[in-house]
Amino acid sequence: MQQQEIHQFLENYFQANGCEIVENEKGYMTVQLTIELDKELMNRPFYWHYLEKTGGIPNPMKLTFITDQNAAPEEIKGEVIHFGSPRLHQIFESTKNLAGYIRLYEKQSLSYGQQVSLRPWLGMNLKISYQCDRKRDVFKSIGLQLINGQVVENFHERLLELQLTPKIPDYSFTLSPLIMPKSGVMRIENLLRNEIEVEDHNWAMEARERWQKDLQLLEHFYEEAEEKGESYENEKKALQEQYEPKVKITIVNGGLFYLTEKAV
Amino acid sequence: MAVDIEFDSSWLDGFFQKIEDDGPWGNWDLYKLAIEVEKHTVIEDFEGLQAPKHLPNLTPLPHQIEVAKQVIENMNGKAILADEVGLGKTIEAGLILKEYMIRGLVKKVLILVPASLVSQWASELTSKFYIPAVAQKKSYVWEQCDVVVSSIDTAKRNPHRDIIFGLDYDLIIIDEAHKLKNNKTKNYEFVQSLKKKFCLLLTATPIQNRISEIFNLVSLLKPGHLGNETVFYEKYKRDSRSLNDDQHLKELVNKVMIRNRRADTGIEWTERHVETIPIQFSAGEKALYDAVSELRSEDNWMATSAFSVMTLQREACSSREAVFVTLKNMLNKKEDPSPYFQAQIESLIEKVQAVQMNSKAEKALELIKKIDDKVIIFTEYRATQLYLQWFLKQNGITSVPFRGGFKRGKKDWMRELFQKHAQVLIATEAGGEGINLQFCHHIINFDLPWNPMRLEQRIGRVHRLGQEQDVHIYNFATKDTVEEHVLKLLHEKIALFEKVIGDLDDILTKLEFGNFEDYLVDIFGHSTSEGEMRIKMDNLNSMIQLAEEIKESESSAAAGNSSIS
Repeated sequence: MQQQEIHQFLENYFQANGCEIVENEKGYMTVQLTIELDKELMNRPFYWHYLEKTGGIPNPMKLTFITDQNAAPEEIKGEVIHFGSPRLHQIFESTKNLAGYIRLYEKQSLSYGQQVSLRPWLGMNLKISYQCDRKRDVFKSIGLQLINGQVVENFHERLLELQLTPKIPDYSFTLSPLIMPKSGVMRIENLLRNEIEVEDHNWAMEARERWQKDLQLLEHFYEEAEEKGESYENEKKALQEQYEPKVKITIVNGGLFYLTEKAV
Repeated sequence: MAVDIEFDSSWLDGFFQKIEDDGPWGNWDLYKLAIEVEKHTVIEDFEGLQAPKHLPNLTPLPHQIEVAKQVIENMNGKAILADEVGLGKTIEAGLILKEYMIRGLVKKVLILVPASLVSQWASELTSKFYIPAVAQKKSYVWEQCDVVVSSIDTAKRNPHRDIIFGLDYDLIIIDEAHKLKNNKTKNYEFVQSLKKKFCLLLTATPIQNRISEIFNLVSLLKPGHLGNETVFYEKYKRDSRSLNDDQHLKELVNKVMIRNRRADTGIEWTERHVETIPIQFSAGEKALYDAVSELRSEDNWMATSAFSVMTLQREACSSREAVFVTLKNMLNKKEDPSPYFQAQIESLIEKVQAVQMNSKAEKALELIKKIDDKVIIFTEYRATQLYLQWFLKQNGITSVPFRGGFKRGKKDWMRELFQKHAQVLIATEAGGEGINLQFCHHIINFDLPWNPMRLEQRIGRVHRLGQEQDVHIYNFATKDTVEEHVLKLLHEKIALFEKVIGDLDDILTKLEFGNFEDYLVDIFGHSTSEGEMRIKMDNLNSMIQLAEEIKESESSAAAGNSSIS
């Protein structure tokens, strides 16, 4: 993420959360937090607890972020934000927390008094991590139509081209799913499992080889000990944790989307 | 091939709950942002380092990046980092730790360092690497904080020990790991019983020594890598120093150890200019020195405290104040002093009082004025330090004191004062680790420590990574004194000042004759004649030369293989 992208990201985040951006200049911005975001980001439960008990006037904080030290005027004081800064990662986490689940409807602009039917889709964004003593990730966005079971990859990209609203638009009605969300999730899970299983797993084989090699060394080291003892067991467990290849699928977010027939 | 696939179901419960309750649902803008975030934080390759992208305020040197890559990609996260002093092992460890944390392979971390470095490690990781490392002070820290820095001595004792064994660490870092060379110690046993998924052992003085030390260190990291004990010692003699003779063993060790030498790093080091400044005693100072030296011929003195006489001689070369403090202490400590002893001390104190000036201080003043820039003066004695502070002030030169015993905050404060407001820093010790004075490039050794490593540490405060100018070192040596002899030995024979720390390290450990200082005390304290002194000095010289030759032949043999010494 470039500094400019970070600036844009912060702007979007705070706006999406209903915060007033008091100042927004090149290289820095000042944000008036809402009560909710103060609680989310500022980590001061005692203050809020106290206020609620005494009924005082809440005074959420105002924060200044410097996104480009060279561009921001020198007298501006604030938190310097860059890709590695803990604050940014806190906000990353918060973004994911606040937007884990969603339900949206497609808005048809050309539907003069005509009834439009919307089809239910299950959309899931996932991260697949291939992990041994090293790790790599793949991001996937999958959509499953809950009537006919059609599966679409890069689902999120397609959604971005549509006009979506949280309320069902006038003259629109939703079709009932034939596949329940629960089994929809299972279909997606199985689909991914099948896909992953046929992938090339050289990385896992190599990790197992490394593991086996170190395990042999360990056995050899304790060969003559009458009682191998706790250290041995410890080391053995450590080797497993270090090398054992695993694929982990985690869900970033997802939800239900009601889309017109020609949307996807 | 079958690989375990875990499907994280924690999201699902929330999802079904929302469906049942008909909301509340998230905000579309935030939802899109969350995906953007994910795409930015996904790491698509096993290889390559992410950490540098996260550390805009740190510019790691090429060799440091290379070490981090090696450890993660080729050594599977278990390694001995053995760079020569001053090449930034802490940075390397920080890079590796950061990389693992970014990739989500490491969460819980235990960092064991000498007690004096605990807070420094914690603050460096926090400020340079944005890793929230916490110095262990309270018991609850072990469980509540993910990255904890502690000393081994604390960690190995209960209640800490039991807590630690109950926790699952992903990465363990041990600084100054050469202290774990003996497998019979409690510390070794403690570290051995820790579960080490990933592990970094940091050491500056690795394994020039006994082969058993290598075996112990490597076995701690990767048991079995060098075979088991019996097989190993059958193959290599326990006390042998033949690591370099055995190509196979060397290769094995290199698989788990990285050692960068100063010369390999390709970094341009600035020069050291060393100048000896001969000092001529004034009449009063000479009288004091001679009077102190005469104690050597007194049987009762030499028998009981050759060392005290040496100390007094050295102090007489520094300042009358230093001599005075020691004399007073001697008198106070002596139980029931004989009248003769009292008279002797008193006559010496008279000599002290008769000294009118400090020739070295005058010379220092002249030099400081001429340099007209920041200067660090090192002295061995508190009394001299105080005197110099007063003396410089009298002459309109601003100075700040510095002692190893200062608390961290005070050290930083003094350093800042020196950088911004004072011309001179007067230090009694190298000031311990971690105080960097690269903005200064003139050092006056007002008197000399007899331990070459301490001398090297003094210079190392200034002549280190980041020093952009040549460094000037002025050694004061009073003529016709023990000081002159020592300086000659250190300067001309060992060529100490031209060397960089790593070399000296190597040479001194090769000598294996223990404490260098003891040798000097023996030579200058116990020799009964000039002739004996000369012979002993020559002996020492040839030992040093021998060590150097061994080292040289080793490094030429090791050419093309830079990772081990």
